[in-house]
Amino acid sequence: MPTDDDLSHFLKDVHWLMDILQNIDVGLVVLDHDYRICLWNQFMQNHSGKAPEHVLNEGLFRVFPELSEDWFRRKAEPAFVLQSATFTTWEQRPYLFHFPHYRPITGTARFMYQNTTIIPLLNTRSEVSHICLIVYDVTDTAMNKLAQIEANDRLEGLSRVDHLTQLYNRGHWEHCLQQEFKRYDRYKIPCTLVLFDIDHFKSVNDTYGHTAGDDVIRMVSDCLREQLRDTDVAGRYGGEEFGVILTNTDAAGGLEFAERLRKAVQAQAVDTNHHAIKVTISLGVGELNPLIGDSQQWLELADKALYYCKEHGRNQSHAL
Amino acid sequence: MMATLLNEDQRDCLQEIANVAMGQSADRLARLLDVFVVLSIPNVSILNPNDIAMTLQSLQDSKGGDTVLTGVCQGFIGGGIAGEALLIFNGTDYRDLAKLLQYEDNGEVRSELLMDTTNVLGGACLHSLAQQLDTQFSLGPPTLLGEHYDITSLLQKREVSWNNALVVEINYTIEDHKVNCDLLLVISENCINGLLEKLNYLLD
Repeated sequence: MPTDDDLSHFLKDVHWLMDILQNIDVGLVVLDHDYRICLWNQFMQNHSGKAPEHVLNEGLFRVFPELSEDWFRRKAEPAFVLQSATFTTWEQRPYLFHFPHYRPITGTARFMYQNTTIIPLLNTRSEVSHICLIVYDVTDTAMNKLAQIEANDRLEGLSRVDHLTQLYNRGHWEHCLQQEFKRYDRYKIPCTLVLFDIDHFKSVNDTYGHTAGDDVIRMVSDCLREQLRDTDVAGRYGGEEFGVILTNTDAAGGLEFAERLRKAVQAQAVDTNHHAIKVTISLGVGELNPLIGDSQQWLELADKALYYCKEHGRNQSHAL
Repeated sequence: MMATLLNEDQRDCLQEIANVAMGQSADRLARLLDVFVVLSIPNVSILNPNDIAMTLQSLQDSKGGDTVLTGVCQGFIGGGIAGEALLIFNGTDYRDLAKLLQYEDNGEVRSELLMDTTNVLGGACLHSLAQQLDTQFSLGPPTLLGEHYDITSLLQKREVSWNNALVVEINYTIEDHKVNCDLLLVISENCINGLLEKLNYLLD
């Protein structure tokens, strides 16, 4: 027989535990197998604005119609059937319960991001009669993670793009070139590389200065951008040298593209204070063929075609 | 090298426990999905961080397709044992898995599939291990690995506080479907004492 003393100790312990559960900054909900709410702690009351007397013995999905019944049952059933805890993260679904964010100054989210754990509760016969849903506020973690992802994406963009022309830089463009080469290796869809540079660019720099030189490079890259299709990949390969990967295009198509670009550049002029600078470009075109062993050889092919133009008077295109 | 963390008897004992845990968790997976799960023999080994990174990479490369490792990791602690469970999917056709779990494949379902499988497999396997060792584990929230969480670079670049870890690798393959995953239980050398004690107790 328990003595009065034992009983009062027991009651004190229970009282403490209840106090802790009420005040802990974590949401606690106990549900029976029909998903009726059997316990609703203070965290849940305060964030939902629903008092226990309004939710106890009510169906969870009736009280919170925004919670997908199908989805939640799928997460909770293993706890009933397999007696093991299950988890959901904010990355799957930002929240189970739509609790508006409550901190006016340090809160940047519009709602509370939530991770949840569902644990089975055993009855005296070791059957799972109820489950306990534990709701964690992970808003800060989620916001940090989202900010980090955004920052990484931005950095990735920055590390790929050439500052002056906003085309891809050499590193990323070469990476794309390798990818295209591999794709050709696998699917044998024609693909053509155009390598071009600005004729006598050095004398532009020497005559008009580097600022004018930069303007010329920008003008040429603008012309290039206008000629591009969505699937083409253009990059600034070197100082005044550019590369374009034309997907699904053979040498004839590449030559057509090259001529169009050449005429577009020829028609443009860069206005400085005193002069209108006109430049021309020379373009080498190289279509991928089965004899080409890697992306480097592909580059060399287009480079050879470019060299041919240089030898034969510039301001022209040539395909190999 | 094995001798540094586990002796022969302890290893055999752990192997046996892992066998049972694998059987029980495979049974639950089979029941959940209503399929046959092909059983294999769990592999117990001692690896350093770099070995683990390489193991993970090989799991990822073996069937190709994905450029990043997809999986879930989950911490567990209890009875003087602590570690992390990694569930890695390789050579898995997610459409197949989605069909098994009766999800509509709308492209965003992948993390749901990973989490559901982790809930079942990880939970069941760890539960069984703990039960056999006469203890209970607390499980932490699972973290999705992937694009924004590159675990191999984590292992290779970051200074981890341990040199060797006990790794139990369990493979689950579902018959007639392109679903294949590996569960790796990693227990580092500084969290292994509780396990050794329990193994010794079972051996006596």
